[in-house]
Amino acid sequence: MRALFCLLLLLLSPLVDAATGRVFVSNEQDDSVSVIDSATNEVIKTIPVGKRPRGVGIAPDGSAVYVAVSGDNVIAVIDPHTLEVVRTFPSGDDPEAFAVHPNGNIYISNEEDAKASVLNPATGELVAEIEVGIEPEGVAISPDGSRVIVTSESTNMLHIIGVPEHEIVANIVVGARPRAATFSADGSTAYATSEISGEVKKIDVASGKILGRMPLADDKAKPKDVLVSRDGRQLYVAGGRANRIFVLDANSLEIIKAIPVGKRVWGLALSRDGKRLYTTDGVDHQVSVIDTGALDVVATVPVGKFPWGVAIDD
Amino acid sequence: MPTTARARPHHRFRSPVGALLLTLIGLASSSVATALEVRIAFIGDQDGDGWRGAAQGIAEANAQGRFLGLHYTLEPSAGPAVDADVSAIVTAVAAERLAPIAAANPGRAVINVAAADDELRADCVPNLLHTLPSYAMRDDAETQWRRKHPESEAVAQAWHADFEKYAAAQLNKRYQAGAGRPMSDEAWAGWAATKAVADVIARDQRVEPAALLDSLHGDIAFDGQKGAEMSFRDTGQLRQPLLLVEGGRIVGEAPVRGVVDTENLDSLGLPSCLK
Repeated sequence: MRALFCLLLLLLSPLVDAATGRVFVSNEQDDSVSVIDSATNEVIKTIPVGKRPRGVGIAPDGSAVYVAVSGDNVIAVIDPHTLEVVRTFPSGDDPEAFAVHPNGNIYISNEEDAKASVLNPATGELVAEIEVGIEPEGVAISPDGSRVIVTSESTNMLHIIGVPEHEIVANIVVGARPRAATFSADGSTAYATSEISGEVKKIDVASGKILGRMPLADDKAKPKDVLVSRDGRQLYVAGGRANRIFVLDANSLEIIKAIPVGKRVWGLALSRDGKRLYTTDGVDHQVSVIDTGALDVVATVPVGKFPWGVAIDD
Repeated sequence: MPTTARARPHHRFRSPVGALLLTLIGLASSSVATALEVRIAFIGDQDGDGWRGAAQGIAEANAQGRFLGLHYTLEPSAGPAVDADVSAIVTAVAAERLAPIAAANPGRAVINVAAADDELRADCVPNLLHTLPSYAMRDDAETQWRRKHPESEAVAQAWHADFEKYAAAQLNKRYQAGAGRPMSDEAWAGWAATKAVADVIARDQRVEPAALLDSLHGDIAFDGQKGAEMSFRDTGQLRQPLLLVEGGRIVGEAPVRGVVDTENLDSLGLPSCLK
């Protein structure tokens, strides 16, 4: 979709961002972002960004990489070509997870204030605030941009927010400490992880009903990120302390495979073509690269201390 | 506002905007009126940490409840009996007062947040639950710790105001802001009592005392913000990790890694009722 958009822009304007194929990884305890060249799986640069970087996202037009710098209460903006921090703007207190809307706005959870905020990254302006439950964390945006999910970790709830009204349309009680959510390609189904209850739930977005639940096979699993494969048939779940990526059937939620990766795996990013899955293995200070056809690790890339978030400019 | 209008409040708003406002106020108050009221009684010192912790849990329960049409109140009670529509009781009293309170409330959860006595757990009273860890749990945690660190004089605690992992920092901040003091073991136990009640009610909306007690005895997967999935043993004790504290500093967690399986919360204290 974005490739098509970029192509259109390319025809219309000389000021266009060709995708760099670079993978951006926030290193929570190194105050930096590691940049991996996806062609070689090598780190080509480490960019200092400020204290305790966590969430990472890419502008819809590929012109900027956003990093939530938790310790500095800002979003840092990195130019994906020059790999420099070009500016920062205030994010509210202790920014963590966020998602970028197709219209370019950033939806971010404010953990300390029980709110989600909508920021315009071009101006730094606060567009809207939505009151949610206690300790909001994960943010997901439907592909058409009409729905946003915010997970409230201590309130054990998914809030489904309508856009552009910015009003909550449904509140769904899930297992303890919901950390992340994602939408299916058509936006009709959402999937969410609960870290403490160690499970994945499947939700019908229109009715707010829970369609299915799968406890992860390993007692140690404390799942965090979840993504849907490009063909919509599989789910990838970062298993946390289980040190594995669980691959689930997106329909039945049955576990297809558990792929061993490094310790305390939290972050996930999927390439645009769906062939490569990147994972942040926090305690092993590395990124694992998974071939989604073979469902095996094809490379491990040493990065900075305690990698947290990951995003691909492709 | 003219006096006549005040005397006839239903004619107060003559403009369309005023009428709309009145309608909105009516809608707002009717939605409050339809919220399901959940009454939790508290027996014990209202100037103690058990009360303060329970009150923090109630505040968080209401932050959740406003999205679900649930409203919670924490009501001081002299006990031992309480009103029939009280869903559960939280107690911060000495061990000897608990048996009469439990006996006066058959089928209603009585959650002890202040007494660590092992006998209370071994007695296996069906409606008596304990969020405060028992003495035996603390002893086991210290024994595990000393197998790894023989010279250590660390003591086991339920909680610590400097605890940060597993979103403990967020709970400590909320409690400090609400209660104006650091969170103690008893405050954590009080918070866990009302928070666990609210979490199971949010899931199945069963507020009748016996149904709630049944829910609490189930696989509740409670998040006590100590990183582990907690539930109540058949002894009534809440399974939970403990902190090892030496010289005021957190030095470790139990179950102790390298000594026992860290997932085995039943390595601490009496694991189940003696058959």
